[in-house]
Amino acid sequence: MSSLLKILENEVQIAALAFMGLVYSVRLAWVFRFKIGRDRTLPAGSGRSGTGYSLMSIAMPWAMESTRKRPGRYVEFVVFHLGVAAAIAASFIIPYGPGLFETAWVRASFQALIAAAGFVGLVRLARRLTDPVLRAISSPDDYFSLALLIFWLAAGVLAAPNRPQAGEGPLAAFFGLTAFFLVYVPFSKISHYLYYPFTRIYLGRALGHRGAWPPAAAKAAGARPAGEDAA
Amino acid sequence: MRRRSNIPSGVVGAPLDLRTQDEAKRQGCPSVVDGRLRTYAPGDNAGRFVDILGHRVSRPLAVSLAACVHCGLCAESCHYFLARPDDPTMTPVWKADQIRKIFKRHVDWTGRVAPWWVKAGSPRDDEDLNRLKNIVFGACSACRRCTYNCPMGVDTALLVRFARGLLTELGIVPEGVFNVSRDEWETGNQMAVTETDYLETLEWMRDELRSELGTDAVDIPVDKPDCEILYTINPREIKFDPRSIAHAARIFHAAGVSWTLPKRGWDQTNFGLFSGDDKLGGFVARNVYEAADRLRARRIVISECGHGYRSTRWEGYNWAGCDQKLPTESVVVTLKRLLEEGRIAVDRGRNPEPVTFHDSCNIARSGDLVEQPREVLRRVCADFREMHPNRRENFCCTGGGGLLSMAEYRPLRLEAGRIKADQLRATGASVVCTMCHNCIDGLADVIKHYRLPMRVVQVLELVSKALVLPGQP
Repeated sequence: MSSLLKILENEVQIAALAFMGLVYSVRLAWVFRFKIGRDRTLPAGSGRSGTGYSLMSIAMPWAMESTRKRPGRYVEFVVFHLGVAAAIAASFIIPYGPGLFETAWVRASFQALIAAAGFVGLVRLARRLTDPVLRAISSPDDYFSLALLIFWLAAGVLAAPNRPQAGEGPLAAFFGLTAFFLVYVPFSKISHYLYYPFTRIYLGRALGHRGAWPPAAAKAAGARPAGEDAA
Repeated sequence: MRRRSNIPSGVVGAPLDLRTQDEAKRQGCPSVVDGRLRTYAPGDNAGRFVDILGHRVSRPLAVSLAACVHCGLCAESCHYFLARPDDPTMTPVWKADQIRKIFKRHVDWTGRVAPWWVKAGSPRDDEDLNRLKNIVFGACSACRRCTYNCPMGVDTALLVRFARGLLTELGIVPEGVFNVSRDEWETGNQMAVTETDYLETLEWMRDELRSELGTDAVDIPVDKPDCEILYTINPREIKFDPRSIAHAARIFHAAGVSWTLPKRGWDQTNFGLFSGDDKLGGFVARNVYEAADRLRARRIVISECGHGYRSTRWEGYNWAGCDQKLPTESVVVTLKRLLEEGRIAVDRGRNPEPVTFHDSCNIARSGDLVEQPREVLRRVCADFREMHPNRRENFCCTGGGGLLSMAEYRPLRLEAGRIKADQLRATGASVVCTMCHNCIDGLADVIKHYRLPMRVVQVLELVSKALVLPGQP
C-alpha cells in the first residue's frame, strides 16, 4: 500500500471526521439558539409516549398513509439507508479491521447491500430528473448529493475487497470521496439525520401531550381517553 | 401591488385588496388606530418580513424549516394536489419551500453562503409578499394532513401559520382575514354580534324551547355563577344557527346540568389561529378563561367547532400565557359522559337515515377527539357508517384555515373539494355529521357544488332528535 493511500485511509479521514464533528457541534448550538415554549395546557395523553411513537414511525411503514400506499418507496428507503450505513462501516473496517472483509460472505454481503443502495440511488436520481413534482422542488444540492452518493457507493463496492496490490484506484476513490463527504455533508441536505430527532421529538411531544399519538394506545393502557379531563 | 401575480399555478394570483383596510383607517377603527390590527403601508416590507422572521422563529419551526429532504412523499396527502395532480405548486413541500427559501437565505448558513445551491432566496418586493400571501392563505387549509405523512416529521401546517402571522404583521392579508380580525379585536367575537343581538337570540331560543317542552323550568341562563358548565359558542350559532343552542339547552335540561353562557367571553372561536396572530389569539382565548374565572365555573365546555376547540382547549392557554386550571372540553365529550352516566336517554330509531361522520382537521389532527363523536353517534343513529379515509387521515372539508372567509380563493377551494366529494359520495349516506361549524359550511359548499344528495348536521342535532324526555314514549 502506498503511503498516499495510507494517509488517505487514516489521517485524512480522521481530520475530515473531526471537521464534521466540529461543524455539527456548531450546528447543534445554532439549533439550540432558537427558543422553545412551554405547553401550558393540561395533558390528555403522554408527551413521552408520543415522542416514542414519533421516533419509531421510521420502522412503522403502516403508520403513515404516504408509506402505506407506496410500500416500494419504503423498501427503497430501507435499502438505501442500510447501504449507506454499510458503506460508512466499510470506511472503518478497511483501515481498522480488514480481517472482517477476508471472510468472503461478509464481504459479499456488504458489497451486495452497498450495490443495492447504489441502484436505489440511481432510481431516485432518475425519478428526481423526470418527475415534474420532484423537479419543481429540487435544488442543485438535491441532485449533487444524490449523484455523489451514487459514485461513493459504487466506489465502496469496488473498494470492499481491499486489495491495493491489484490497483489502488478503487480504494483511493472510495476514501477520497468519503473524506469529501465528511466535509460536505454538514452543509448539504444529507445532514437531515441531524434534524430528524428534533423534528420527530417536537412533533411527537406535542401530539402525544394532546393524546393524538400514539393512536389509541393511551386508552388501551387504561389512561383517561383523550379529550376527557378529570373533573 | 395590484398587478397580477405570476404564480405558476395561475390560480392564486389574487391582488392585495386594500379597500377594507383603507375604509378602516378612514373610519378610525380603534384596533387600527392603537396598532393591534396592522394595515398595509408601502415601504420596505420585504426587509421587515425578513427581520420579523428572524426574531420569531422557534426551535420546532427552525428544524422543520431545515429538515425537509424534498422526497415529495407529502404530495399525495394534500387534497389540493390530488385535485390537481399535474401542478407541482399544489404540493405541500413546494408551498413550504416558498417560506423555507427565505429562512435559508437569511437565517440558515448554507443559504447565506451559496443561496443558488439550496434554492434560497429573498422576497424582493411587496409583490413577492403578496404572492406568498396567496400561497399560504389561498392554497393551503393548514389541515396538517401532510404533517402526519412526512417521514421526517416536518410540520408544514406550522410553517404556513407562521408565514401567515408574518404577513398579518405587515397587513398583507386577504380582505376577509382583515375584516374578521377587526371584528374580533373590537367586539370580542368574530361576527361582530352585539350584546343585544346575543341576549335577544338566547331569549328567543329559550322561549321557543319553553313552548315546545311546555314548561318554564327550561332555561338558557346567562352569567349564572357557580355552575358546573360554562358553555361557550360560535357566533355563527347566534347569527345563522341558533337552534344548535336550543339543542344544547334541551339536552342540558334533560340531564339536569347546571350551566350558563357568559355575557362576555362567550365566543370560543379564534381567528388568531387562522391569521397566525398570537396576540389576537391570546386576547380572544383570555376572554373565555376570564369569563370562567369570573363566574366560578367548574368546567369550560366548547360547542361544536373545530378551530374553536383547538384554540380554546389547546392553543389559547399558550397564546394567552396562562396555565390551564379548569377542565376544558368539547360538548361532544360532555354528551358522551351524559349518555354513559345515564343522565339522558336516547332512541336511535329517531335517526333512521344513514349517517356518516366527517372528522374536523383541527379536532382530529391538531386536537385529540376521534372516538368520542363516534361513540355518541353509534348510540343515537340507527345506521352509522364510516367514510374512508377517516379519523386522523380524513380529508379537509375545504373550509379549514379560515378559507371560508376568503372569497377570492373559492374557485380553487371548490376544485380541491372534489376529493371530499368523492369521499362523501362513496359512503352512500344521506346525512353527514360533523362537530365543526366551519366544516358545516365547507361541506355544504361541496355538497352543493358537486350535487350530492346529502345534508349536513351536527352531533348536538342528532342527539337532541334522539333524546327521550321524561314522560315521553
